Amino acid sequence: MTELYASTPMAIRDDLAAAHARAWAHVARPGSWWDGTTRVAIAGETRNASSCSLCRRRKEALSPFAIEGTHDSLGQLSEIVVEVVHRVRTDPGRLSERWYRGIVASGLSEEQYVEVVSVVAHVVAIDTMARGLGFDPLLLTRPQPGLPSRRRPAGAKPGGAWVPWLEPADAGDAMAGIYPADRPAANIRKAMSLVPEEVHSFFDLVAHQYLPGTAMRDFSREYRAISHARIELLAARVSALNRCFY
Amino acid sequence: MPNGRLLAAFAEAVLGEQETALTRPRSALAMALGPAGLSDAAGVVGLFNAIDRIADATGIPLEADTAAASADFRAALGLDRFSVAERT
Repeated sequence: MTELYASTPMAIRDDLAAAHARAWAHVARPGSWWDGTTRVAIAGETRNASSCSLCRRRKEALSPFAIEGTHDSLGQLSEIVVEVVHRVRTDPGRLSERWYRGIVASGLSEEQYVEVVSVVAHVVAIDTMARGLGFDPLLLTRPQPGLPSRRRPAGAKPGGAWVPWLEPADAGDAMAGIYPADRPAANIRKAMSLVPEEVHSFFDLVAHQYLPGTAMRDFSREYRAISHARIELLAARVSALNRCFY
Repeated sequence: MPNGRLLAAFAEAVLGEQETALTRPRSALAMALGPAGLSDAAGVVGLFNAIDRIADATGIPLEADTAAASADFRAALGLDRFSVAERT
């Protein structure tokens, strides 16, 4: 078992522990649009968001847009990035396109936005699992030096989502292993394709923390200690609690 | 489904705010499914708590075939009254 969970009271599947190690290293490395220091700061702010009093008032309000104020942040990120991190972490079901357009109009690029969302998602996936098991949250990894690549896929363009994405016909090799070859790509796989490296990392987590793509519809056998039916019951319940329409 | 209520209660407790409220559902699920089952259940809860945020933060719509296939029960359940349904 990777060192990541070496001292936990309960064993974690080796492949899952390895996937978490990869994900944690990914968060600490320079990304496409943010450097490692900023990405680790985003991870830290994701954890901090749960104790933000502004977020709590907004969550309790009939409309989050009716509540103004300043987030209780760690002071390491710009206000606009903190707004994105906190809103995605604490009240994702009430995000709106108007809010997103306002974020972009305020100076955050669409690519930067997607990468922030991805880092938040990586942290939430791993931290929530730890909470479920009664583990302490993993220590954040030291940021790795280097600059972001600043590579935007040439084929990305506006589509059905708020953010531009890569359609399979325009993806080239960028989404190899992510988009299926034999059927249309699900929108959730296209969602962060403006930053392909984030999709590859997150769906590596998906394959180990949920199921690999080929296993999701393979009902001829079970891949986990719990059945497909139980997995989907959990997934549906979580999504209902999060008010996630998709 | 066997242990369905335990699974749902576990998911609700993990996403809830009270740490103390997690202890009993976690223990109950561990007794019912064993440590490996609990670990996998926690993994699924964690993954979907994250992937829901990606869907909501990027504004992706339902796929056309999913929207068509779910039209009847979305209507029956009143899901289309939510503003996010406009994305589909």
